Amino acid sequence: MKRNSSTFGPAIAIVLAVAWVLSGARTAPVDPAYDLDSFGQIPVVSQGRPKPLDTLARTTLMVLSNKQSLYMSATDATADRKEKTDDMQKVPAIRWLIDVMSVPEKARGYDVIRIDHPEIKGLLGADADRKYFSMDEIVANGDELNRQFRLAHDTPDRDRSLYQRKMITLSQQVSLYFSAEDVASMFLVPPSDGGSEWGTLADQSSHMMGHGDLPAESRNVTSALVAWQEGDPAAFNAAVSAQRSLVESKVPTIEKKVAFEARYNHFAPFMKAMALYVLVGILAAFSWLRPGRAITATALGLLVVALILHTVGLGSRVWIQGRPPVTNLYSSAVFVGWGAVALGGILERLHRNGVGAIVAAGTGFATLLVAHNLSLDGDTMTMMQAVLDTNFWLATHVVVITLGYASTFLAGALGVIYILRGVLTTALNRDERRRQVGMIYGIVCFATLFSFVGTILGGIWADQSWGRFWGWDPKENGALLIVLWNALILHARWGGIARQRGIAILAVIGNIVTAWSWFGTNMLGVGLHAYGFIESALMWMSIFIASQLGIAALGMVPYERWRSVKANG
Amino acid sequence: MKDTLRRVLAPIASLKLTVALLAMSMFLVFAGTWAQLDRGIWTVLEQYFRTWWTVIPLGIFLPRDWNVHGAIPFPGGWTIGGLMLVNLLAAHTIRFRWTKDRIGIFLIHFSLIMLLVGEFATGLFAVESRMTIDEGQTVNYAEDVRSVELAIVDVTDPSQNRVIAIPQRALEHKKTISHPDLPFTIQVDRFLPNADLVSDENAGPSALHGNRGAAVSAGVAALPKAVARGVGRDEADMPVAQITLKDGVTDLGTYLTALWFTFMPSRGTQIVDVGGHRYELWLRFVRHYKPYSMQLVDFKHDKYLGTETPKNFSSLVRLIDPEKNLDHEVLIWMNNPLRHRGETFYQASFKKGDMGTVLQVVRNPAWLLPYLACTIGALGMSIHFGQNLLRFLRRQRKTAAHAAHPHPAREPGRPAVAGAGAPHAARRVR
Repeated sequence: MKRNSSTFGPAIAIVLAVAWVLSGARTAPVDPAYDLDSFGQIPVVSQGRPKPLDTLARTTLMVLSNKQSLYMSATDATADRKEKTDDMQKVPAIRWLIDVMSVPEKARGYDVIRIDHPEIKGLLGADADRKYFSMDEIVANGDELNRQFRLAHDTPDRDRSLYQRKMITLSQQVSLYFSAEDVASMFLVPPSDGGSEWGTLADQSSHMMGHGDLPAESRNVTSALVAWQEGDPAAFNAAVSAQRSLVESKVPTIEKKVAFEARYNHFAPFMKAMALYVLVGILAAFSWLRPGRAITATALGLLVVALILHTVGLGSRVWIQGRPPVTNLYSSAVFVGWGAVALGGILERLHRNGVGAIVAAGTGFATLLVAHNLSLDGDTMTMMQAVLDTNFWLATHVVVITLGYASTFLAGALGVIYILRGVLTTALNRDERRRQVGMIYGIVCFATLFSFVGTILGGIWADQSWGRFWGWDPKENGALLIVLWNALILHARWGGIARQRGIAILAVIGNIVTAWSWFGTNMLGVGLHAYGFIESALMWMSIFIASQLGIAALGMVPYERWRSVKANG
Repeated sequence: MKDTLRRVLAPIASLKLTVALLAMSMFLVFAGTWAQLDRGIWTVLEQYFRTWWTVIPLGIFLPRDWNVHGAIPFPGGWTIGGLMLVNLLAAHTIRFRWTKDRIGIFLIHFSLIMLLVGEFATGLFAVESRMTIDEGQTVNYAEDVRSVELAIVDVTDPSQNRVIAIPQRALEHKKTISHPDLPFTIQVDRFLPNADLVSDENAGPSALHGNRGAAVSAGVAALPKAVARGVGRDEADMPVAQITLKDGVTDLGTYLTALWFTFMPSRGTQIVDVGGHRYELWLRFVRHYKPYSMQLVDFKHDKYLGTETPKNFSSLVRLIDPEKNLDHEVLIWMNNPLRHRGETFYQASFKKGDMGTVLQVVRNPAWLLPYLACTIGALGMSIHFGQNLLRFLRRQRKTAAHAAHPHPAREPGRPAVAGAGAPHAARRVR
């Protein structure tokens, strides 16, 4: 009987989770008459790469409103959940983009541009509690906004106030909006036989001036947009499918990848993985309150499902981009999470005490959350700057160093669990304490290996591309700090300077060192590696550092006062 | 004898010292990173890393407008690195024995020594310069863009130029310079490490003027300017030297020589005719002449469609080295440098309008060390941590096997299986 519950319980939970995941692979059509999914799979070259219109729609809406969907009725649309009325339906970004492309006058009335700064809201004559604004409102106040933008623009970067920086952001949002409306300039025309350059509809119509006939390449998209405008589903679907078969005949490999990317967008594996990580975390924590084989097995099983999902997402990106997994800050966050979950999963498999599961789930969730916030900047599969355009070094240095980040974070997370459980609960007996420190030590060894090899590989790459092995550039220094810190932990242990909780505290501080190397050095805004500066990231970074310092300080509470020590000796 | 050595070395070899040195090196690296907000990388290198001793201003860690003063003295990179080396060697002398378990550690530490020595050697011996070549042009020198020289070029014979170069250090010390091959002496009136060229009329009292040459024909004077911090793209020092030429006692005129003039040769060429010879005066980046030359055949700069993001830079150059019987074309592009005669040529930058290329030229005798160190270190870590992992797994398997047959534990009141890795066993018996 007992055996049954411990085998069937986890099995049922895992089957349910898999069913839930797979259910997301199918799409419910927004409007059954129009094949919008297929429209979303039409390729367009934007920011230097062919992508589905669906990605263009999502990333554009993401920059405008921080969302990938909005609420829409027959006459109106808003990105604001609070503002939505009963007849409104939640629709994906492509539903919005087609209105922008086809019926721009109407789409300009939709409330999709997010503005947070109260003074900018004031310029639009709006209340402070409104969040989303329409293009019409912005155009109506264009003169004053333009004047304010000029003032901000003429102020040197470093001296700009928050208001001025937000003015610049708004201007970028507006020009992005205009480029989404500018169908004629979109690179929608696939290369003609043998070529590789995509063309715009405008190129094609100037071609028509000379030859008197608009080629099919550009007729399809235009007719689809006209059909949408006139409400003719049959014509719309025919034009869309004509465009897709045209692309398929000209550039079959690109067509395949682009269609796949649209399905990947819809599947959203990372969002689903995040939900599963939360569940795993809750189960693992619960297993500490009421230990039982079934619950730990369920947690481990769900963790594996989440890891598979995470891997599928990562693999999809690798295939779409034709690049190793880490190409920018966003993908580094995804990969750090993946590495930490994989290592944490191994720990859980070895020890089966919930600790590996909870740190895996925690770091997996946190890093995907970071990645999600980084994706607010737009397309996450941007093309590589010339110096980074080398799959060899991306596959070696970048992957290894990112695994170094992942394992250092994992060791830090183990340290956090050790301190919190030790001080606040009575769960950590003598054996368990020793075992957890053993886990930290093992992971720190991994972290040292990865960060050391990764850092040196980075030096070799630098020697190949800039002519110096080591340049004391902030990002290089950041990587070096992680190596030094891990080495310090190991030597402190070997020298008997730190034994148990000392190791845990040092590992927690390792979180700060890693966070600083990963994000802080980018925030410095100097050096060859500074590929992204994110403002609100600075605040989150400070909060993170403060929290880790807090936990480390908690770990300094005299041993006799730890509840676990008092209870277990 | 051995005991004495041991006793002397013991404190030097201690792991406590290792940990302290690691912590100190982290602080130094951290400070050296923050300092780069205000200072150029070369200044930071010299101030923090390639030095025995440094003074770290506390303000570098804080927002600059707080204006925090005060500083702490701290050992520089060479001191910390050197001490690490001593600590490591001492530890190996007294503590390490040649056993199977120690091979990994030994390899790791050996690779670290190579890295430290490599960085030290790079600091001492590496020379960086750059080659700027226009399309079609052939160049047989590299420039050191961190210092200038006053070049007096005898152009009397159009087929062969003779150059006499006066280094920046001599110019800075403001004295009269003579050379057996020159029919005149050069008196350095002022040397400005950084200056703006401004219109002569509204130059103000602090400006330097010339009474001959380009300063007169272009109508410019030099206004002293603070030395650039080296942060940001457009900030580079533009030195100016005001010199007076004398043929014995005859004054041949006061000239302004400026680095700016090298960027606009049509207006900046200054000619002096003395004793049947014609000389040109140039204040230019220090040139290192090479026994070979390079001709830029084509420079390419591709961008991604519809963006300004560079996709690729590449220079097709013709390498001509008569001594080595070389005359062929080479493609240099990002991440794919050319190595020739102990020097490495990298695609570094390009001239406006893609009209020319800028190659970084590096001579670093120690360049191979990191490659070896990486291999050895990775091997060492794999061995060492691999052994640890195997040991752990073996122990794990043993406890698991133990837990699978916990026969004595079936008796009530007996403690559950002792040792690590057996909570389930313990739970099941409960």
